[in-house]
Amino acid sequence: MDFLLQGFLKGFALLFTGDPETYSAIWATVGASSLSMFFSLTIGVPLGFFLGHKTFIGKRILRTIVDTLLSFPTVVIGLLVYAFLTRHGPLGGTGLLFSIPGVAIGQTLLGLPIIIAMTANAVEGLDKRLPITLTTLGASPQQILWATVMEARFSIMLAAMAAYGRIVSEVGISMLVGGNIKWHTRTITTAIALETGKGEFAMGIALGIVLLAVALLVNVAATGLKKKAVK
Amino acid sequence: MSTPVISLNKTRQVFSGRQVLSIDELDINQGDIIGLAGPNGSGKSTLLRILAFLDAPTSGTLSFMGAETSIKPGAVHRQVTLLVQEPYLLKRTVYANVAYGLKVRKKSDITTKVHNALIQVGLDPESFSSRQWYELSGGEAQRVALAARLVLKPKVLLMDEPTASLDTKSAKLIRKAALKARTDNRTSLVVASHDLDWLGKVSDHIIYLEHGSIVETS
Repeated sequence: MDFLLQGFLKGFALLFTGDPETYSAIWATVGASSLSMFFSLTIGVPLGFFLGHKTFIGKRILRTIVDTLLSFPTVVIGLLVYAFLTRHGPLGGTGLLFSIPGVAIGQTLLGLPIIIAMTANAVEGLDKRLPITLTTLGASPQQILWATVMEARFSIMLAAMAAYGRIVSEVGISMLVGGNIKWHTRTITTAIALETGKGEFAMGIALGIVLLAVALLVNVAATGLKKKAVK
Repeated sequence: MSTPVISLNKTRQVFSGRQVLSIDELDINQGDIIGLAGPNGSGKSTLLRILAFLDAPTSGTLSFMGAETSIKPGAVHRQVTLLVQEPYLLKRTVYANVAYGLKVRKKSDITTKVHNALIQVGLDPESFSSRQWYELSGGEAQRVALAARLVLKPKVLLMDEPTASLDTKSAKLIRKAALKARTDNRTSLVVASHDLDWLGKVSDHIIYLEHGSIVETS
């Protein structure tokens, strides 16, 4: 048990002394996850809104596909993105392999189905009286669309948090697409995997504490939002 | 004689092959208060939805200010508004709910207008403006929804069972507010209700509907 305790103590020390290697992994994670969240939300919210709001042929099939993608293994996404970004791949010339934007592309693919599915659910679950209310208050079609998104805002934020939780804790994409390059694309999760493999528990625990803190923050915020979303 | 605000001519509404409304002629003039009475399923709500330009009639004409009008969200909905039986409040504060219609119209002096509308429905602006939508009782929510419509000074205010789930005090406040809208802005009111006593106190005419047709006007 001693090594665990030692690991925790060293872990806190690394965090509080500002260890550069530890913080490099933290910043790489923040960079990749921020980029991927930006793209997941920018693309996913309109698509989810469309899927939940409109009725069209093939909607059920599309919903089934999106729901299936929710459980897409991260290593498979990593493999696909790697295949596209590798030198011989269709996007090999972009130079995105083993870079933070490359990791963000993979993480966007991971977060998108979550945002789309949860936004669609949120919009479908809105009160049927909402469009009548907005129309009879004089809103234009564009104002109705925007107000509908605003009505679903707590559920959309919840979707963002669920996506962030999945993105920040994935290993497969970061490992395959990022390559776990020290000072460059080594994220919290790939660093934990590597350091644990080397028997260096302290850094692994320090980074684990950061991940747990993120998970705690996300959960606290999500609990508050869930209460508002169901009211 | 001035042009009616809304008029129906040979209007029929058919759902799944069944005729639910058949009105040969109905004019809503400016400042009119018309009560709609009749049993459940008599077509009161269907008529209100047509008058609110939410549903197009299957046949016949529906005109606003003398011109046949589309039901697409647009200019007419800025003049004609509907308060449903259990109104929906936006997931915002009371102030934001009442201000919504003014904001989409890009009106000025919104704070004062919201303040006055809340007073008109008997809600203290100081204590209610910042309340969230989920902090209201049923009667308060109904009055906020009414304030959100009165503040727009509509040409026509349609109300579907506005007092069905309210206590006597709230019902009285809603009646007072609706009557004031007619006095101050010459708003026409069309009120569907089972409460004949309440209808009798506010209406100039009461139209009795049965099986979708007008059977009596008093």
